[in-house]
Amino acid sequence: MFRVELLANTTTHATPGYTYVADRGQAPAKANTAPALGRKRGINNAGKGGDISSRRANAILRHLAELDRENQRDVSIPIPARPAREAGARVSRTKTSSNVRRILVSQKTFRNHIDDEDAAIAAGGGGLSVPVGAAAVGPVIPSRVKAVAATGLAGSTAGTPRRSSTPTAASMTPAGAGVRKKRGSTLATVTTPSTPTPAPATTPAPAPATSEANDAKREDDSQDHRHKILKTEHDSDPLLHSFGPTIPSERIMDRLLSEPALSYHASRVGSPLSTQLPRSFCCMCGYWGKIRCKSCHLRTCGLDCYKVHEDSRCGAFF
Amino acid sequence: MGTSKSRASTKAAKSAPAIPTRLVPEKTFVLDNGAYTMKAGWACDPSVPAEEALSHCVTIPNAIVKTRDNRIWTGAQLNTHVTDWNEAVFRRPVEKGFIVNWEAQREIWDQTFFEEKATPRNKQLRIAKPEETTLVLTEAPNNLPVLQRNTDEMVMEEWGFGGYARCLGPTLNAWNDVNALFGDPLTKNDAEVSPKDCLLVVDSGYSHTTVTPVYKGQPLQRAIRRLDVGGKLLTNYLKEIVSMRQYNMVDETYIMNEVKEAVCFISNDFTHDMEKTWKANRKREDAQSVVVDYVLPDPNANKKGFMRPHDPLLHAKKKKGALSGLSPEVLSEDVLVLGNERFTAPELLFRPSDIGMQQAGIPDMILQSLSVLPPGLHAALLANVLVVGGNSCIPGFMERLENDLRAITSSECVVRVRRAEDPFRSAWLGGSRFASNREELGKVVITRQEYQEYGSGWATRRFAGLV
Repeated sequence: MFRVELLANTTTHATPGYTYVADRGQAPAKANTAPALGRKRGINNAGKGGDISSRRANAILRHLAELDRENQRDVSIPIPARPAREAGARVSRTKTSSNVRRILVSQKTFRNHIDDEDAAIAAGGGGLSVPVGAAAVGPVIPSRVKAVAATGLAGSTAGTPRRSSTPTAASMTPAGAGVRKKRGSTLATVTTPSTPTPAPATTPAPAPATSEANDAKREDDSQDHRHKILKTEHDSDPLLHSFGPTIPSERIMDRLLSEPALSYHASRVGSPLSTQLPRSFCCMCGYWGKIRCKSCHLRTCGLDCYKVHEDSRCGAFF
Repeated sequence: MGTSKSRASTKAAKSAPAIPTRLVPEKTFVLDNGAYTMKAGWACDPSVPAEEALSHCVTIPNAIVKTRDNRIWTGAQLNTHVTDWNEAVFRRPVEKGFIVNWEAQREIWDQTFFEEKATPRNKQLRIAKPEETTLVLTEAPNNLPVLQRNTDEMVMEEWGFGGYARCLGPTLNAWNDVNALFGDPLTKNDAEVSPKDCLLVVDSGYSHTTVTPVYKGQPLQRAIRRLDVGGKLLTNYLKEIVSMRQYNMVDETYIMNEVKEAVCFISNDFTHDMEKTWKANRKREDAQSVVVDYVLPDPNANKKGFMRPHDPLLHAKKKKGALSGLSPEVLSEDVLVLGNERFTAPELLFRPSDIGMQQAGIPDMILQSLSVLPPGLHAALLANVLVVGGNSCIPGFMERLENDLRAITSSECVVRVRRAEDPFRSAWLGGSRFASNREELGKVVITRQEYQEYGSGWATRRFAGLV
């Protein structure tokens, strides 16, 4: 018995075997209101929201892992034995240190390494404390950098894979407590709209906020005046005043440059800022996917492709 | 470096006074160790023009390959010895941009750089005396500390380089003559090579695409972002859809890579191009501009693959077989017809969500990177976007990136996007110029003596900028 899946659309086709997925247009607000009906709602919307079911999410992950492979099959290619090596061509070959031996025999893949790293971070170690031996031998880390490292680690261990703009903006402020207080408030006013684009940062719109922040900065470091080489009486003319954000001072740049690297996961780019509707394509011919197969949820562009899909490819049965 | 011959004599190194003996070897070897190819060569004088400097740089495939006839080839042999690429399988020491498998990497390095006999062929690459050489080695951003440490230990303990600097590959681009590329006036005289002040490097390579803001030659670590879409994923994706629709090509990674390089382009009007390639529109005139044939290589007849315009008539005739009166050569050739595959595959760089990946495309990634930097830097970085890496050679890439970036940035900002003159070897060239600035190089290099005194943990932290 076939079940008709209702979509929030007047042009739904009640057809056996597939659903006509109406083009919802480019308005994301409208698209998100489409209710998911049906018995399998629980499975389909398991904590994901949108129309990505957990099953679909797993399929995507598998697909991405598939696309990441070097070879289609698992093959092991041994290192070719070269006669020159047996002859002891290079002097250093005879003496390998224990480190080198350990590294060479290690057959760990990147996956293994990243899992180790994750475990270390979860255990509270964090990426940068990994160096085990010889830690006491080297010169001492300046405490200033340590503090920065600590904050960076705190941010990354807090479980947010991507930094949101507000905490970073707060941690960007220079060390002086007074400045932090002032700038913290002004920055809050700048970032609270939390629009995804950095447009407010570059447009002259937040002029009062930035100029106030600049005043605060100028009080603090007098070297900002250095770049004002020519002084004229028009400097205070409001019509000529530039509201663009100023280049950050040396000190801020030094602190930015001395920050430690992010961890591998933290540096991955986040999901898109601009809300684009997901596009779907025909799994057979690559044209727009307008029809969804009811049994495996793959899309096809029309009945031609759907028939081929149903006859040959549709392997799902649930 | 009198004590450098005997590596194990750390006693001698310790007894020597630490500061005055800091000798960084004069000769510098620059190695950009990519996942797909290594770009290597001796650093040369920055006064020579870029073309001549690049003649010192050799590109070597960074892979061990097993061909169909079960023979194994390494590194540079791939260019000369392998003719039949059908069903070739690869072993790459570099995964995700980082050197992971040192067993394979050592084999390739040994064969490429440390041959015992000097021949005219390996003159450009042979490192005769590592202890009298400074190695500048690149790495991808956000490496794992474990892998960094492994790298340091291998370089210093297996080969024993006299000096060693491990730096982020994208940052080296800032040392190039970027001002000329962007059409800026040259502010300083060329007496000393110095890095560009603000540069946003987009590096789209084999394993991934990264965005690195570079300030005076140093990376702004907090703003480095990575998109896990690179050339490998594009090839695999193209391979997958072609295998689904036409021939089974799943084992033909190398050939599909060639197909990708020959036919793929990035669409500047995706919807329109999609309509053109719709099968009902195939017979129309304007479809001919997009749909192409790719004739697959035939190693038995010693023929290479090539692209040609799609001919529906020929196609229909071929289906009829021998009756149609075509020549046997035409009948025997295997043809892939590529329509929307040409632009949907590289489209993933800009819309990774097309395959369900929860990551932003390159223009969005640039904005995400900028959003954690002080607003004062945004304008300077957006006006200096430099694109390097192999994917930037896909036709249409630059236009699309510039258009998309222009559309989502504020209108006050100038957006200038340029491709490096040689997007593959740009980092190497920058490294070569960087090496000529002895003062700056001395700041990042560690010497062999220091390594022996402080150990690899110190070296790793030193390169991380913590010491």
